[in-house]
Amino acid sequence: MDSLLGAEILKTRKRWMPYVILLFLIVGTAVLIWLAGYLSWREETDPAFRRDALRIFAFPWSIPALLDAGQFWGAFVVGILAASSVGTEHGWGTVRQAIVRGQSRSKYLAIKLLGVTIMSAVILLIGLAVGVGFSFIASSLADQRITLDVPGGPSVPEIGLMVLRAGFAIVPYGMLAFCLGVLSRSTSLGVTGGLIFLFGEAIALAILTTIGGVAADARELAIGHNVAALLTANGIGEPPDLWVLAPRDRLLASELPNPNIAGFVLALWSFAFGAIAFYVFQHRDLKA
Amino acid sequence: MAMRERSFLDAGEFHDEDWDVTTAASAGNSSVVLRTVGLSKRYGKRLALADLHLQVPAGRVYGFLGPNGAGKTTCISLILGLIAPSAGHVEMLGFDTRTHLSQALRRTGAILEGPAFYPNLSARDNLRVWGALSGGVEPARLDELLGTVGLGERGGDKVRNYSLGMKQRLALAGALLHDPELLLLDEPTNGLDPAGIREFRQLIRELGRSGKTVFVSSHLLNEVEQMCDEVAIIKDGRLITQGTVSELVQRSDVMEMRVTDVPAAMEVLRGLDWVGGVTHEDGRILVEGPRERAAELSRALAEQQIYLSELRAKESSLEDFFLEVTAQEGGRG
Repeated sequence: MDSLLGAEILKTRKRWMPYVILLFLIVGTAVLIWLAGYLSWREETDPAFRRDALRIFAFPWSIPALLDAGQFWGAFVVGILAASSVGTEHGWGTVRQAIVRGQSRSKYLAIKLLGVTIMSAVILLIGLAVGVGFSFIASSLADQRITLDVPGGPSVPEIGLMVLRAGFAIVPYGMLAFCLGVLSRSTSLGVTGGLIFLFGEAIALAILTTIGGVAADARELAIGHNVAALLTANGIGEPPDLWVLAPRDRLLASELPNPNIAGFVLALWSFAFGAIAFYVFQHRDLKA
Repeated sequence: MAMRERSFLDAGEFHDEDWDVTTAASAGNSSVVLRTVGLSKRYGKRLALADLHLQVPAGRVYGFLGPNGAGKTTCISLILGLIAPSAGHVEMLGFDTRTHLSQALRRTGAILEGPAFYPNLSARDNLRVWGALSGGVEPARLDELLGTVGLGERGGDKVRNYSLGMKQRLALAGALLHDPELLLLDEPTNGLDPAGIREFRQLIRELGRSGKTVFVSSHLLNEVEQMCDEVAIIKDGRLITQGTVSELVQRSDVMEMRVTDVPAAMEVLRGLDWVGGVTHEDGRILVEGPRERAAELSRALAEQQIYLSELRAKESSLEDFFLEVTAQEGGRG
């Protein structure tokens, strides 16, 4: 435990917030699988609607559905964790205590970022595992065979790649919240700023799509547009309309950037947010 | 750290009168462990610290005095690299902190003004976190330090339930965690009750005796006088003076006395050629002159049938000196 990373994780896991976030995610997956998926499938009579509902809760279609919703809510909760990890240390004054112990500022921030990444990954993976567990149960109740052998179904390594894509699509939002947390020295401003961006960008992208032309081309640089590209690459067969739990572009793969390019753009955004955070923290006066 | 394991509350082991600051000062190492060179900090138009030159010798307890807002915390924050100077630099433990701040800080312990902790963690876990930041410490060391500062029984309690005094004790444990050579303490007795202040003073003295250098800012002049070998006084961001306590609080060559006949005594005393001045104040006569000649003074009065009911050297305190110099500086400003 007596390592910097161990100390960082100790600080986080001794707070109530990660457990509330995990509970929130589990409730979210329950809503998705049971309410939007299984109950809709059972109660509806319209074949098209039942087919879409089945693709939400039945394995393996439930995986992209969970990852899509998980990316959106994950961006939200990772933003809270990231902004909180720096904001609370400023609020408590512990950031000054840490720096006077001889840690370089960049190392302090890097460890903090690594701690947030690990805690976020653990929470999100637990949420995903619970969601997949719900999916297994719901599939069994619906007399659906639990198998990857469906048209366009992924292999196990491909499932890993899908998880990585969805996780990577969370990173820019986490880095944005982290950056805002560092700039504002406040958890609430970091979280609020991240949320405003998340919803504001979705609205802006919708407007750009409506305008079309050069305005639509400008979306290529937007985080949300590239996130949509990554998540669309996760689809198994034709995606159902019902997984629209996240406010994002619902475009065909042909209208979205290549997933590799999308990943590169998201990496650039993440790097930019990180660079701003590190630069500001490195050069800032840490007053009481 | 070579400190003996004992409770911070165990005040019986050391006695104030055992300590002689002049002895400690003269016995100390003459090398400088902390030096500020023209250190300045400006916030907009306000100059918080102006061209500060401090020299803290090794193995001393160095007091840093100043009225509220004088720039003490700014100075300590500059030394610790928490804020960047507008001009000047700091040399600490042989390192120029402009280029080797981390190396210097790893051998330094600090209590910042207003102790800050993770309120959701226990005292022991707080120390574990600080220990990790300091390069790692053995679990036994945590218990040893909690015992030293008198928190052994409460080490598992969450810090959010601690009083300010307990937090100060924990802050001291945190500062000592990695057995630093230099301690920088900003108002460390804030929140401590009188007994706690006394215990703290004893611990600081013990640290000084063990060879550590302690730089302590305080506005409690009596405390500083009793625990420090040297002091610096700043006001409005400017250094007014620095030196050993004994230098600054020179026993003034003034004797005060009570006699049977004040007017006659004053006349006799004014007739002595080695007496510098004679004044009358609140029924006492103050005589400027070397204390070694007190017997001659007594004899001169007795020869004129004037008898002493009291004769003693008038001593000034650091508080007197502080108020005098800060008032002078204020007057000039």
